[in-house]
Amino acid sequence: MAIEKKKVLIVDDEIEIVDFLSRFLQRLGITAIKANSGEEALKKYNELHPDFIFLDIQMPDKDGLTILKEIKKIDDSVKIIMITGKDDEELQAKAKKYGALDYITKPLDLGELSIKIDDYIL
Amino acid sequence: MKPEYHKKLQIAARQTILIHRADTLIRIILRTIVTSLKVKHAGIFIYDKVKDEYVVKVSRGHAGLRVPAGFAKIKKDSPLARYFTDKSINLPKEHILWSKITSRIKYYKTKKDVKIKRFLEALKFELSLYEAKACIPGFFRKDLVGILFLGEKKNKKSFGEEELRFLSVLASDVVMALKNAWLIEDLSRQIDINKRLLFQTVAALASSIEAKDKYTIGHTERVANYCLAIAYALKKREKIEGWEKFLENLKIAALFHDIGKIGIPESILNKEVALNEEEKKIIQSHPLIGANILNHIEEFRQALEGVKYHHEKHDGSGYPYHLKGRKIPLIASIIALADTFDAMITDRPYRKGMPQDKAIEEIRKVRGVQFAPHVVDAFLKIYHSKGKLWELNKQAGRHLLFARENIF
Repeated sequence: MAIEKKKVLIVDDEIEIVDFLSRFLQRLGITAIKANSGEEALKKYNELHPDFIFLDIQMPDKDGLTILKEIKKIDDSVKIIMITGKDDEELQAKAKKYGALDYITKPLDLGELSIKIDDYIL
Repeated sequence: MKPEYHKKLQIAARQTILIHRADTLIRIILRTIVTSLKVKHAGIFIYDKVKDEYVVKVSRGHAGLRVPAGFAKIKKDSPLARYFTDKSINLPKEHILWSKITSRIKYYKTKKDVKIKRFLEALKFELSLYEAKACIPGFFRKDLVGILFLGEKKNKKSFGEEELRFLSVLASDVVMALKNAWLIEDLSRQIDINKRLLFQTVAALASSIEAKDKYTIGHTERVANYCLAIAYALKKREKIEGWEKFLENLKIAALFHDIGKIGIPESILNKEVALNEEEKKIIQSHPLIGANILNHIEEFRQALEGVKYHHEKHDGSGYPYHLKGRKIPLIASIIALADTFDAMITDRPYRKGMPQDKAIEEIRKVRGVQFAPHVVDAFLKIYHSKGKLWELNKQAGRHLLFARENIF
């Protein structure tokens, strides 16, 4: 599939982060879909069927791990990368168990992030 | 230098002096950069001592790439950091310009240049991630403390010499602000350690009195805990002047309230029959002896009052000065109540301790007579909301002294 056709959903309650990541992806020719809450993420997922999701773990309405489980139940082939501010091994193990592709901790190394995008999405 | 920059610099310099919070100053500096140089965005990497890497702490500019604070980092061995720190990279260290890096990459052609060319390509890639057209290092002595990065100018022109000089000055302002902030952080950590040490020393000293007066074992510690509980409850109901300082003084005064007993003969302290008038007088001198001991510590004037007046009574029938009502300092009123309560519920040489409920009832009866009404009210409030104070004390033990408000 051509890069341009790939759709990535970015989920974070901090609008600044969603904006930054979508700009970052758009520069690589990837279409970014934005969601600022857990509920919005599920809604956008059902409407637009992204191939790939960046998912924040700590959100006020619904936490990332719950959303991870729900989406994976609908479609197991979706690739999901968890993003979190906490460097927590237990959380990491849980995310892997529920089927997350990867788990990245803030602050991110943008160089590494772009390599991951290369590997996973492109 | 253009007069405009000169003025900006003066303002920035003044701000460095006035603003003690490094993050505030850095935000102002970045705003200055964005508005006066008309760049699409600007941000700063700041060295993180714990993680040993550089994290984007502040970033400004609506038109460009705004990196959320704390979201992105570069490692210490990343091309951008290495450009400034690695001596083997023999290129001008005062700044990085995207245009110069691009032309240098084109310039290196021979096999000999492969290494540096690869390095510059990696650097260019890293700059592109941040859409950075210029980077300015901030050094403290030999340490790279921060890196300013700037996006493209809105008019797409390149950065001039004047502008780069202006940026270098701002970068060194940032370094100064950071160094100050880190110094203050270190100092306040040191102060915290010293304070803990002080309270532990005071607690150890205070317990020395218990060696003499065997019926008071654990008494000072318990009184201190009741005092803190009362103080927190009072604070919820009324404003207490200079709260932090008050609390520290209260802890010290509570621990030291009976320190004056060091000057009282053991034969009187541990007497199992009622005391005669002469002996009573001697015992009643302990608040003043205690105050004299603390007199040497300038820092704790308020604590001294707590020790000196903790046997005064609200109606003026206490000792040694027969102070009345609000003339009795709050700190002493709190200790008086906590001290009496603990004495009532514990065994003494001449009597058994009474049940807690009964002690509470007795205290309620002398509200406004022996004790200040508002202090009694705060005390009863804790009793009703938290259940038995005795239990609270047992649970928290000696850690309560160093605990935060949320325990209460």
